[in-house]
Amino acid sequence: MGNFWSGRRRHNYFHYPPPPPPPHHHHLPPPYYYSAESHPPPPPPPPSQGYFITNTYVTPPPLPAPPLPPTSHPQAHSFSYPNGYSNCPNYGNSMTGRYQYQPYYVNQGTSGWPAIRPTAGPANPPPPYVDHQAAKKVKNDVNVHKDTLRLEVDERNPDHHLVSFVFDALYDGSITIFYFAKEVETCKFIPLFPEVEPVRIPFHKGAGQNFCQTSGTGIDLGFFALDDLSKPSEGEDVFPLIICAETYSRTPSADENLSESTPDVSPNMQITQAVLEKNGSGSFQVKVVRQILWIDGARYELRELYGIGSSTAADFNDSDPGKECVICMTEPKDTAVLPCRHMCMCSECAKALRLQSNKCPICRQSIEELIEIKINNSNQ
Amino acid sequence: MANSNLPRRIIKETQRLLSEPAPGISASPSEDNMRYFNVMILGPTQSPYEGGVFKLELFLPEEYPMAAPKLGRICLDILKDKWSPALQIRTVLLSIQALLSAPNPDDPLSENIAKHWKSNEAEAVETAKEWTRLYASGA
Ligand SMILES: [Zn+2]
Ligand SMILES: [Zn+2]
Repeated sequence: MGNFWSGRRRHNYFHYPPPPPPPHHHHLPPPYYYSAESHPPPPPPPPSQGYFITNTYVTPPPLPAPPLPPTSHPQAHSFSYPNGYSNCPNYGNSMTGRYQYQPYYVNQGTSGWPAIRPTAGPANPPPPYVDHQAAKKVKNDVNVHKDTLRLEVDERNPDHHLVSFVFDALYDGSITIFYFAKEVETCKFIPLFPEVEPVRIPFHKGAGQNFCQTSGTGIDLGFFALDDLSKPSEGEDVFPLIICAETYSRTPSADENLSESTPDVSPNMQITQAVLEKNGSGSFQVKVVRQILWIDGARYELRELYGIGSSTAADFNDSDPGKECVICMTEPKDTAVLPCRHMCMCSECAKALRLQSNKCPICRQSIEELIEIKINNSNQ
Repeated sequence: MANSNLPRRIIKETQRLLSEPAPGISASPSEDNMRYFNVMILGPTQSPYEGGVFKLELFLPEEYPMAAPKLGRICLDILKDKWSPALQIRTVLLSIQALLSAPNPDDPLSENIAKHWKSNEAEAVETAKEWTRLYASGA
């Protein structure tokens, strides 16, 4: 008895991401990124020396920017893991387990402002079988934790606002704060309003540093229209707030042959582009739109990966549902689906899944690429 | 024998269902076939099925989790085209429980009952209550 109803319409909330590990929120680490950035190398050896930043990018598919599926909104957002670095039990302080990968090279090695792949495209026929791409790690020398970026009133100068955030740096370097600036060539910015000069502040290397702009160097935002502050302008390449974090020097590491003496070595820089919104209480809220990484002449755009945080195989615990592949519930997750960015499967299950479906198990968007991310490898 | 080659996932799901059962839902595997579950779902409070105990049989086909569990005549999209291997026995049973809270007469298994439900919800609710009492109460 009781079998005469059906749930086709009423139960939408079950159709969407069946969040795999419901009762374990406190185990879920912060959001992750795919793109050429990241932090804690897998099982980060206690942030002793230099290895606390590891980045991962993905070998470029030889295709033009693939179109995104028609419905890209209901997407992952509801499924992203709670923020908060302190939530992540897997890592030491600083670089609490975020990884960033990038699926495509966006303009390798040329100067100028490369085209960014479109964020929407026409619906296309189902993608052909796409085999795994293996993610490869790159290191970035400096990382601004984007969700720590704040704009606060300068108490000694109440008309002015100061920038603060948490960042990690492998080397000494500097932070430059621009307002309404445009990137004119690789890593060079021109302020739209010449009277608003960029503020450059040097830093020493170290993880988990608090950056607080010194009193008196802030900006009077009254100078700008709220509307202009709240969005990028001019074809989206002028942002109201830009934080450039740059390292001065870089000791050559095993995997690269950087000629230190060359004066115009391409900079290693992380660019954080943000807009400012005034909230109800009158204070400004910083919303990071994008983070870009320049490493050895290559530009990477950082994107979040959902679910990767809970899967470092290093301390993979067989009984923690957040870390396991949603399909076999046995192996640690190591494969992310693009474009929806759900890190949810082990590579074996991903292969098996592709034989019968091209839908992401979490959100049902079409799978265009599978990226295998071995965060626990010690081989790099 | 069916149990000798049980995938880890099924073992884990079973363990979790037994150790942390969802409120109002019990699912226990049959002893001679671990892919076969006896399920009981309590009628949700505040629903016409309150006080009822609904027994179901759930079977995990060989292809599970790539294929959905088999569950008799229940119209639930996640058991058909909306199945995803990320769903589990638990999520399926929760969906059925939710269905008991909010029947969907637009996609009925029984045309008559659905018509009844749509044209006279109050009376249909009464019928559901009565049937719950008659057929789904007690053990
Ligand atoms: Zn798996
Ligand atoms: Zn997805």
